[in-house]
Amino acid sequence: MTMATNAPAVIATDLVKSFGDVRALDRVSLEVQAGTVLGLLGPNGAGKTTAVNVLTTLLRADSGHAEVAGIDVLRHPGAVRRRIGLAGQYPAVDESLTGIENLTLVGRLNHLPTAQCRSRAAELLEQFGLAEAGRRFAKTYSGGMRRRLDLAAALVARPSVLFLDEPTTGLDPRSRIDLWKVIEDLVTQGTTVLLTTQYLEEADRLADRISVVDGGQVIAEGSPSELKSRMGGTLVEVRLDEQSQARRVAELLTDAGDGRVSSQGTLVRVPASNGTAVLAEVVRRLDAQNLSPRGLQLREPSLDDVFLALTDRFAEDEQIRSTG
Amino acid sequence: MTTTSTGISSAGTNGRLGWAIRDTAAMAGRNLRRLMRQPEQIMFNLVSPIMFTLLFRYVFGGAIGGLQGLNYVNFLIPGIAVQTVLFSAGVTGFALADDLQKGFINRLRSLPMARSAVFGGRVAADTLNNALGLIILLATGFAVGFRPANVPGLVLAGLLLLLFALAVSLGYALVGLSVRSPEAVNAATFPIIFPLTFASSAFVPVETMPSWLQGFATHQPVSVVINAARSLILGDTATPEQRDLLLGGSGTASLVLQSLAWTIGIGVVFGLLCTRRYRNLTA
Repeated sequence: MTMATNAPAVIATDLVKSFGDVRALDRVSLEVQAGTVLGLLGPNGAGKTTAVNVLTTLLRADSGHAEVAGIDVLRHPGAVRRRIGLAGQYPAVDESLTGIENLTLVGRLNHLPTAQCRSRAAELLEQFGLAEAGRRFAKTYSGGMRRRLDLAAALVARPSVLFLDEPTTGLDPRSRIDLWKVIEDLVTQGTTVLLTTQYLEEADRLADRISVVDGGQVIAEGSPSELKSRMGGTLVEVRLDEQSQARRVAELLTDAGDGRVSSQGTLVRVPASNGTAVLAEVVRRLDAQNLSPRGLQLREPSLDDVFLALTDRFAEDEQIRSTG
Repeated sequence: MTTTSTGISSAGTNGRLGWAIRDTAAMAGRNLRRLMRQPEQIMFNLVSPIMFTLLFRYVFGGAIGGLQGLNYVNFLIPGIAVQTVLFSAGVTGFALADDLQKGFINRLRSLPMARSAVFGGRVAADTLNNALGLIILLATGFAVGFRPANVPGLVLAGLLLLLFALAVSLGYALVGLSVRSPEAVNAATFPIIFPLTFASSAFVPVETMPSWLQGFATHQPVSVVINAARSLILGDTATPEQRDLLLGGSGTASLVLQSLAWTIGIGVVFGLLCTRRYRNLTA
C-alpha cells in the first residue's frame, strides 16, 4: 500500500462487451494503483474473465475506455502487450516442450535477446522451484508445477502489470499456498497485479482492494476490511434446532443488537458493533424464554458474508436500502 | 528492463518484417519439435504414402484402364503425391485447434509477437512435414518402378505440390480456429477433401468416370494441380494422345499457370479469412 501513491496502472471506465444477447460486461469500471493487487471477486459467469480478456487485448470492448500502464488498450494493443503478463484460467504451457523450452520460446516471442532468453528462463525456473524439472517435458508436471510454469511464462519479459485469471483454481491446498507466496513475493518486488478469483480467502489474503463482480457489473468495491465493515461489523450468531424456532428467536431479538436482525435457515444473525454487550443481552433474552440454542458465537464478518449478501439479488436490494 | 524496452522500440521502424520473420522461425521451431515428439503423427506421415502406393500399384492397378499405353505407376505417383500432401496438410488445422483448446493461442495473443507468425510458423513446419512425406513417397515410387522423365521436372512438380498444400493448409487453419477441437477439424474437412481427392484425376483417368462426374473431375483444382505435376514429371515422354486424354489437353506451361492461379486464389482467400478469424477470436 505504500506504493499506491503512483498513477493507476490499470484504469477501466464503463467497459461494455456483449456476446449475442448476453452482456458479459455491463459498464464495468476498475482501477488498480501501481504496485498493488486488485481482486476481481465473483461467481462463474460474472464477467471476470471477459474483463481480463479486454484489458489484456484478447478481446475488444464494444464501448468504454481502458488504459494499462498508461497506454490505451483499444488504440495501442501492441504496446500494451509489451508491458503485461497474462496467466489465463488454464495453464497455457506447451506440454510437448520442456520447462526451459517453454520459457525460452516466450522470451523469443517477447523479442528478448537470445542470451537473455536463456538466463531469464533459468532464473524463473529457480525462483519457482522448477529448476530440477526444467529439462523435463511439461506433460510430466503436476497441476501445481504447470501453474507455476505458466506464471513464470507470464513473467519472462518482466511485465509491469500482471493479470492472473483464477490462478489457483483446481489446485490442491498445498500448491495453492505455494502459489500465493509466489504472488506475494512478486507484489513485494513492485509488480501490479489484477487477479480474478472465486475464493474469498484468496482475495482476502492477496488483494489490497476488491471489486465484487456479478452479472457483468461491479456491485461493490473496497478494501477487504471496508467490505467487511459494510456488513455492520461484529455479529452475534445464534444457531437453533429448527427453522420455526429461528424465526421466533429472530423476533425476540429484533431490538437486541444495533442493526437489522436476519434469519437464514436455523441461523439468526444479530449485528453487534458493541460486541460483548449485545452478546450478554442475547443470552439474557434466550435464558428468559428458556431457549437453549445449539450454538452461539460472537464473530467478525467474513468476506463470505459480504459476498453472499452482495451477489444475491434480493439481499443486494436490502443492502442498498439499509446503507441508504 | 530499460535496455529491453529500448531494444524493442528501436527495432520498430525497420524491424517489423525482421521480427515477423524471427517470430515465424521461433514458432516453426516450436511446431517442428512438437511434431517430432508426437511419433504417431510422423508414423502416419511415413506409412500413408507407402500404403497407398502399394495398394494402387498392386491391388487396384491391374483393373485400371484407359491409360493410352502409359505405365500406371508413372500415372499413379503424382496422384498419390497430391493426396499425400492434401491429407497431411490437415495437421495445420488439428494443431491450431489443439493450441486453441489448450489456451496456448491466448498466451500467444497476449505477447508482442507478430500475429502472422502464428500461421507462418505453422505452415512452415507443416510444409517441411509435407516435404518429408513426398520424399518417402518418391523412394517408395522408385522401388515399385516409378521413373520420372527428368529431375528438374520432378523438383518443380514437388514445389508446385508443396505450394498448393500450403494454400490448402490455410483452409484447414481456418477450420482449426473455428471448431475448437482437433477431432472436429477432421469431421468438418473430410467431406470436402475426400471427394476433391478421389473424384479427380489422381488414381484413374477421368475418361473412365460417368459423364456427369467428368466435368467436375476434370476442372476442379486438385485435378488441375495433379495434371500439372504429371505433365512436369512425364515431360517429353508423354505422347499427344496421353496429353490429350490424361493431362487435360493443355501444355505444361498452361497447366502450371492454372495451378498457380488456384494456389494463389485459395491461399489469399483463406489467408485473409484466417487473419480475420484470428483477430476476432472471442478468447
